Amino acid sequence: MTEKKGREVSESCVDSLLTEMVSTYCNRFYANKPELAARRIEAIGYQVGHQLSERYTMERPRFNDHLEAIKFICKDFWSELFKKQIDNLKTNHRGTFVLQDNRFRWLSRISIDPSLENGDSQDPSAMAESKAAQATSMHLYFPCGIIRGALSNLGIPCAVSADISNLPACSFVVRIKA
Amino acid sequence: MPPAGPRSGDAIFASVERVNAELFTLTYGATVRQLLTDLEEVEEVNKQLDQMGYNIGIRLIDEFLAKSNVSRCVDFKETAEVIAKVGFKMFLGIAATVTNWDADGTCCSIILDDNPLVDFVELPDTCQGLYYCNILSGVIRGALEMCLGRDIAPYLKIVTDTQYLAFTKVSMKTEVTWLRDVLRGDDAYELQVKLLKQVPEEYPYKDDE
Amino acid sequence: MQFFGGSEISPSPPAPTVSGNNAHMVYVFNRNGVCLLYREWNRPLHTLNAQQDHKLMFGLLFSLKSLTAKMDPTSAERGNLGVPQLPGQGCSFHSFRTNTYKLSFMETPSGIKIILVTHPRTGDLRDSLKYIYNLYVDYVMKNPLYTPGSPIRSDLFITTLDQYVRSIA
Repeated sequence: MTEKKGREVSESCVDSLLTEMVSTYCNRFYANKPELAARRIEAIGYQVGHQLSERYTMERPRFNDHLEAIKFICKDFWSELFKKQIDNLKTNHRGTFVLQDNRFRWLSRISIDPSLENGDSQDPSAMAESKAAQATSMHLYFPCGIIRGALSNLGIPCAVSADISNLPACSFVVRIKA
Repeated sequence: MPPAGPRSGDAIFASVERVNAELFTLTYGATVRQLLTDLEEVEEVNKQLDQMGYNIGIRLIDEFLAKSNVSRCVDFKETAEVIAKVGFKMFLGIAATVTNWDADGTCCSIILDDNPLVDFVELPDTCQGLYYCNILSGVIRGALEMCLGRDIAPYLKIVTDTQYLAFTKVSMKTEVTWLRDVLRGDDAYELQVKLLKQVPEEYPYKDDE
Repeated sequence: MQFFGGSEISPSPPAPTVSGNNAHMVYVFNRNGVCLLYREWNRPLHTLNAQQDHKLMFGLLFSLKSLTAKMDPTSAERGNLGVPQLPGQGCSFHSFRTNTYKLSFMETPSGIKIILVTHPRTGDLRDSLKYIYNLYVDYVMKNPLYTPGSPIRSDLFITTLDQYVRSIA
């Protein structure tokens, strides 16, 4: 098929596709099996990350070490996806890297009402809150999958998780498998 | 203050936040592939893609209306034209042609020469029967259903005031089907949009409540 | 309709002096009459419970819309009673004013209705309503956790809306 370099679509296309893809797996297919939904969503992200990193590294030399590859993810790769770089990179020098985006686009519009004042009956707001937290976390499996897929394409097997304790900042923790 | 006219799809596309289309195309592709794995039946995948599109259409219609400055949807014909022409441009950056209107203005074709969903896509033989872009038909269906237009059927009965109010607006239920698909060997993408029925907007409360 | 002519009528309030305290409340309804959002900033008087209040407001708009169109002296195409009006064609009302408040109203072709109640001397708020619709699009419809048609609980939207309304009225 024809390939259009530099082609763009409205951001809403990606946002609404992701919202709907996550909701399809979480609410329609696996409403009672969140761990299965999570695995499927992560798999979709993995595939996307794998293909994207293949495309973005086509014309560059191989990376010499893990740090170089991680820096590629933080700069070039992130810029292609979000038009900005990762804001902060930390490592313990033993295979764990923390990539922090201070304003992660895909979460910038996520908002839940922490008080949920209508939960007056036996449904304590703590329960509603944890439900909301779970719904939010479902939106993190896709970007985690993307990072894992991209690194795996660069020959680096790893596990990726995310921390959103101070939204809209988001930290991705990459643990490289020895 | 005269109301500002509708904006062109090009102008809106130039002004909205845009992203790399590869991300969109590959995400859609990966989703279709995952659905094929999980659902096994191609027919079921078509159905789910259409449902996903419908839900997306319901969400996107307000962004379309807010950004395009379209303040009225008078009838099905006008609404279908503006959604196809302005909508495809402002979201996907592509031009769509609306053509083949039937005599009573309830059925038309939307033709796409270009389609970012299918960049890099080749369907394997195992996907016979798959409407790869079926999400698009769902989006159009959802968006049109959320638009209130006037009832085009003549309505001549004398009714009470409450009924009068209730019958002034209708939402448009449509059926959207693929007539041509490049991935299936045709020369363009052609969607047929057919108005099935118009559902009146109802006064939501009972009088005596 | 005793709610309009009761004994509560107060003399005209003073003209706004300090900005930011002139908006009383906002309502957002969807096409099914569900009140997606009600927010008040300055409403010392409540005569009804919340549900009745929302219903009355929705009913008021529904009737007023139809009556204003029916009374349009300029529309050539005005049908007989029972013949549907063309929404958006001819006339539609966008605000009314009493001695104590002004109500501004907009309705989108998707049936979203936004109502802003402010000080009677507030100017034309049509652009502000459009802006609020854009906020709704950006912060409600684009919130991945929002289910269309459900009451709006988004902190982000409410904070932004509060800020904006303080700046206009």
